[in-house]
Amino acid sequence: MGVAHVRAGAVRFAGVRAVLAAVALLAPALVPADASGHDQPFSHADVDWRRERLEVRLTVHRDDAISVLGGGSPEALMDRAVLAGRSPQLAQVLSGRFHLQADDEYLALRLESAEPLPRDHAVCLTFRTAPLRRPSARLAIECRLFPAVRDHETFLAVSEGARTASRDIFTATHTRAEVYSKGAAGTVAAFATYLRAGVRHIFIGPDHILFIVGLLLLGGGIGRVLKVATAFTLAHSITLAVAILGWFSPPSWAVEPLIALSIVYVGIENLRRRSGNGDWRIRAAFCFGLVHGFGFASVLREVGLPSQALAWSLLAFNLGVETGQAAIVLAITPMLAGIRAVWPRIAPRAIAACSWAIVAAGAYWFVERAIEPVRLLSSRL
Amino acid sequence: MKTPGRALFGLMLFTLFTGLTAGSARAHQFWLAPSSYDGTPGRPASVSAFAGTGFRGEAMPWSPAHGVRFVVRTARLVDLTPAAAPGETNWSRFVPTDGGGAMFAFESGFTGIQLAAAPFDAYLLDEGLTAARSARSRAGEVPGRERYRRCPKAWIAGTGAARATAPIGLPLEIVPLAVPGFGPMLPIRVVRDGRPLAGALVKTWRSPLGAGVAPSDAAIRDSVGVSWKGRTDARGTVTVPVPESGEWLISVVDMVPCREKEEADWESTWASLTFARGR
Repeated sequence: MGVAHVRAGAVRFAGVRAVLAAVALLAPALVPADASGHDQPFSHADVDWRRERLEVRLTVHRDDAISVLGGGSPEALMDRAVLAGRSPQLAQVLSGRFHLQADDEYLALRLESAEPLPRDHAVCLTFRTAPLRRPSARLAIECRLFPAVRDHETFLAVSEGARTASRDIFTATHTRAEVYSKGAAGTVAAFATYLRAGVRHIFIGPDHILFIVGLLLLGGGIGRVLKVATAFTLAHSITLAVAILGWFSPPSWAVEPLIALSIVYVGIENLRRRSGNGDWRIRAAFCFGLVHGFGFASVLREVGLPSQALAWSLLAFNLGVETGQAAIVLAITPMLAGIRAVWPRIAPRAIAACSWAIVAAGAYWFVERAIEPVRLLSSRL
Repeated sequence: MKTPGRALFGLMLFTLFTGLTAGSARAHQFWLAPSSYDGTPGRPASVSAFAGTGFRGEAMPWSPAHGVRFVVRTARLVDLTPAAAPGETNWSRFVPTDGGGAMFAFESGFTGIQLAAAPFDAYLLDEGLTAARSARSRAGEVPGRERYRRCPKAWIAGTGAARATAPIGLPLEIVPLAVPGFGPMLPIRVVRDGRPLAGALVKTWRSPLGAGVAPSDAAIRDSVGVSWKGRTDARGTVTVPVPESGEWLISVVDMVPCREKEEADWESTWASLTFARGR
């Protein structure tokens, strides 16, 4: 092989090399973004809650940012000039997936700055709201930054002055958080919210209503009805607190079928003991009230309790449940007494029919709720 | 006869092609690393987790949803999960109280992932997962539906052999059979559900240390190639060469058919062990 030949080859190769160099430069843009290190997709939302306005910093991984920008090189976003050009589009998408509500006022986010964070392979967008009309006591945040990414988590940190008021993690199934300001205004706002939540839970939960109605069907004097209601209240207050404070919390796949069984039990006992002897009801109300309390706790956990007003919120939710329960007792008891007085011969049959209906509903719920754990168990075997 | 130019051109094309395809086949390592491997009593260190390739990676925030276990074995086993703050990349702060060393261990829950057939097969090949690879070749070209979990450990230097060599009880675990970082060879045992795992491909990486026995910044340092590969014997053991000072990562992955077929077809468990060999 002569020297000239090699040189000619080298000259030809120089041209090819230029093409290859160009291809190599373009390669990152041509191949799908390598999610190196983006093991469990996450982002951060840091909210600075001030009296006059709010500032939100969204820090997102460059791979996720590119996914919503519709293509390009994630690495290029680490260039300040490139990011400046693409940040308005990114800000538009992200602000549409991050909603802030201070008290009852929705707040629009305005992009202030965009900064590449090369060390974290991320970009940080800083938003500000317009000035608030008045200091807010409650902040509601809805967030689902990357709905297409199943396992994505957004770590929320809300700071109020120097203190971190709240931390939360937004996921595909948990997309809303409420934070209450420090001081009396925040506590009052938290109390009102959880009082409403307690009342609402009783009225949207037909199982609890049916259980209470079942206990009241056999009637009795005001004293006996009060004892039954108090036993139920006492029991579910105990387990609600026990579960929320993290001392003991059975899984909902065990609690929910048991609640359904409690309804079946009450219906059957009503059919067995039509005499009006109601002592069993106090025991049943207490024993099954313990189970219902765990059910209330699982609902309350889904809603989430604000750490800054935990005790007040727990008390408010319990009071809300009691309020709803008292409303049912006050509506049902005079009605049943009226039926017994006006139609004394029909009343026992009506009570029996209602009891059968309660048994049927409880049995239906039991089957419905027991299927899920059985299905889960069988899939693991 | 091929000219050198053509041969070089072919070589470059091949390199470019493999460079492009290898990216998708590369699997991410996951490791725990302290801010310093120095176990001097009273000297605080923080522990973080990293995910990446070539022993370079991003710090991962603590997520209660993904963490099954996060413990440290010193004189006793301590659960660190209650103190870990969601979203923080410093998972734990640790102040050694004696010179016995500390073994940190983490077990994650499962995360699902799906890859196209070709990159998934390339990844199986790269990780030496021959059983899964041959099972898939019989099934034809189907996408790889996988769920994976992480079981990393990190050793902060000390003389307590029992702390280093006692298994933590992770689903897949690299158990050192001697105190890591004290010699040029480190015998280890790979244990799967408490039993030795034979034939597992073990890989190591080495990164130069920063100041003292602190690791260099994993987020910005150069990535490195695999230093060594070897398979475990019938007793699940293999001796890993640790020829020079540096921060060392030992990694192994095991893959089995997934029992929850609605979730995934394959289930992989990634174990790692990080430690430092001083200068």
